[in-house]
Amino acid sequence: MKLSLELIVLLPLLGSLFNALLGRIVPRRLAETIACAVIWGSFVAALAAARAYSGPVTMEMASWLSAFDFHAPLTLYLDSLSLILCLMITFVCGLIHVYAVGYMQDEPGYCRFFALLNLFVAAMLLLVLAENLPLLYLGWEGVGFCSYFLIGFWYQDPNNATAGRKAFIVTRIGDVGLALAIVWIFQSLGTVSITQVNQMGHSLPLGVITGLGLLMLLGAMGKSAQVPLMVWLPDAMAGPTPVSAQIHAATMVTAGVYLLMRLFPLIGLSATVTAAIAVTGALTAFYGATCALVQRDLKRILAYSTISQIGYMVLGVGVGALTASTFHLIEHAFFKALLFLGAGCVITALHHEQDIFRMGGLRRTLPATFYCFLAGALCLAGLPLTGGFFSKDGILAAVWQQGGLLGGGLYALGLLTALLTAVYTFRMVFLIFGGNEAQGPLASAPLAAKGKPHQTLPSVMQWTLIPLALLGLGGGLLNLPAYLGQGWMAQLLAPLDHGDQHGLSLGVELTLQGLAASISLAGVALAWFRFGGARRAQRLAEAEQPVRGLAAFLLAGWYVDALYRLLFVRPYAWLSGVLWQGVDEGLVDQSFDQMGTLLGRCGQRLGSWSCGRVSIYLLSLSAGAALCIGWFAWGAL
Amino acid sequence: MIVPLTHVLILAAILFCLGLGCVLAWSSNVIMLLIGIEIMLNAAMLVFVGGSCQWGMADGQVFALMIIAMTSAEVSLALALVVYLHRRRKTVDVDAFRELRDNETKP
Repeated sequence: MKLSLELIVLLPLLGSLFNALLGRIVPRRLAETIACAVIWGSFVAALAAARAYSGPVTMEMASWLSAFDFHAPLTLYLDSLSLILCLMITFVCGLIHVYAVGYMQDEPGYCRFFALLNLFVAAMLLLVLAENLPLLYLGWEGVGFCSYFLIGFWYQDPNNATAGRKAFIVTRIGDVGLALAIVWIFQSLGTVSITQVNQMGHSLPLGVITGLGLLMLLGAMGKSAQVPLMVWLPDAMAGPTPVSAQIHAATMVTAGVYLLMRLFPLIGLSATVTAAIAVTGALTAFYGATCALVQRDLKRILAYSTISQIGYMVLGVGVGALTASTFHLIEHAFFKALLFLGAGCVITALHHEQDIFRMGGLRRTLPATFYCFLAGALCLAGLPLTGGFFSKDGILAAVWQQGGLLGGGLYALGLLTALLTAVYTFRMVFLIFGGNEAQGPLASAPLAAKGKPHQTLPSVMQWTLIPLALLGLGGGLLNLPAYLGQGWMAQLLAPLDHGDQHGLSLGVELTLQGLAASISLAGVALAWFRFGGARRAQRLAEAEQPVRGLAAFLLAGWYVDALYRLLFVRPYAWLSGVLWQGVDEGLVDQSFDQMGTLLGRCGQRLGSWSCGRVSIYLLSLSAGAALCIGWFAWGAL
Repeated sequence: MIVPLTHVLILAAILFCLGLGCVLAWSSNVIMLLIGIEIMLNAAMLVFVGGSCQWGMADGQVFALMIIAMTSAEVSLALALVVYLHRRRKTVDVDAFRELRDNETKP
């Protein structure tokens, strides 16, 4: 057990070190194999840990920070939540790594790529398994660090580098909240161990818990791209597609949700905090879905859908439905990784074309990708009997159960978001895979120019989609609703849930599921009426017109970027300009320049005395000596 | 001691001032400059010898002997230099030799 726990974290770390240090020396195939093998090794270790699992385990690996009464050793903590997450992370990341081998086959900087990708997984696993908050923070920052480098992986293009910086800075704002919360927890409880903190929550005044919870929420907002710190995620699409898949599906963005779940026994004590979490989640879900409705870039659609789905998870945490939230997190990891990897196949096949209005007819040319992508889309839209349906319904049912004005409003918002989700998902599917290739004014123009219509895909890229598609579709079996017999995930996670989540009567639950099912079907139908069949060509023609009104508002992400630029970036840039040109160059540099000139002039004055005439020197020497003697004589008298 | 120390010191001071005056006034000739320095050294020697007689200790006289030895060496060297300088520049004016001065000094 101990060994497997250690291996889960250490293997990816070793792989990263290997690729960073020796990757250039060994043959390319070996470097790639090791990068993938360490993740799968980590998965095997996680499986072994799961087999041996009988209850929460705490294991101290080494001492780390220790000063006076502050102790933060390198301690790993495995409970049902972290176990499930570890299995998911290692499995999905393993598939993504294998896919990346195919995707990055022409990339010369593969060592850097795989080293960072492995380090990313290691940091995420450390975050999930950490027993104390500083260790969790180490993983948290490690994830941010790796995402910065991977988003800006093709750094020669300044846009990519800017996107990386944006992700780093925006998440940093949230990190400040988390760091403050950790310090506050230590100051008020005298410990940073998560298990102890969760038990000692009752001894704190409610106000402190509320403050802590809001700070934690700020941290989660940054990392999980919740309103209002969600602006970095759509730009994070600048990175290579496997990186996007990894950020969105398995690592990074789920970290915030995980943090809230992990500390829910503490922060869930304050009703204000849970309400704030729920409202944040619902707003984010709605925001992401509306923005995804009008995007043209395939990867941006997926990015906004991630924001929306993470919003659902946060909403679930807010109403205390940790099991449903975890279930949705896992399920989302499967189908979002699937969608991203499928999108990567489509984009590669079309010579890096990302505009969905320039695609079409791919169901014939890329059948394997089509069926897998369709499976992912079904899950994302929450069509009945897919895994996504059960997980999303679990959250919505919990929101309904919350009741009251808040619960009702959030439920309505959640349902509306589900409708929008189905619409934008199938808009994407119809536009990419429907129709004929030649159809539409734009569809074939860029491809014809490049000669060969389709680049052949490395077969490994398509194989990796299949297990994800199966898991996405059949994921519902992991956690069946109560009336179909309990799923193992609910049993495993039972210690997490505090309120009774199964209080709904069978009739109500079935009604809610029926409502959700009909909503998602209605969404698909709406998408069909607008983008399916013959109306597709009409939409393609319309797409050439510039967007106006509401569509433009949504396309720009509610103009949040512009607002932030106006509110924060421009004053900051102005201040920087003043400090740079006014204070640094004007005041500091100028004063030093002036001082230098002054000293130089003094030196020249003094230097002109040394005229080189010995007689003058002699005269001044004797005059000086006479002065000294005269002075002493005067003193003696 | 027949001559009081005060008189010796006064004589030495006069000698020193004469030497100094020679050095300062006759700088156009290196040889006169060297002579001035010799006179000042002799004034210093006179003080040593006077002090030695006053307190009955031999140290001052020993030192005077050392100064004599040193000045003879110094003069022989200096005169050789003077001859050499004169050969090079056909002058013995000290102010003519100012090569060590920084020529690029701005006004």
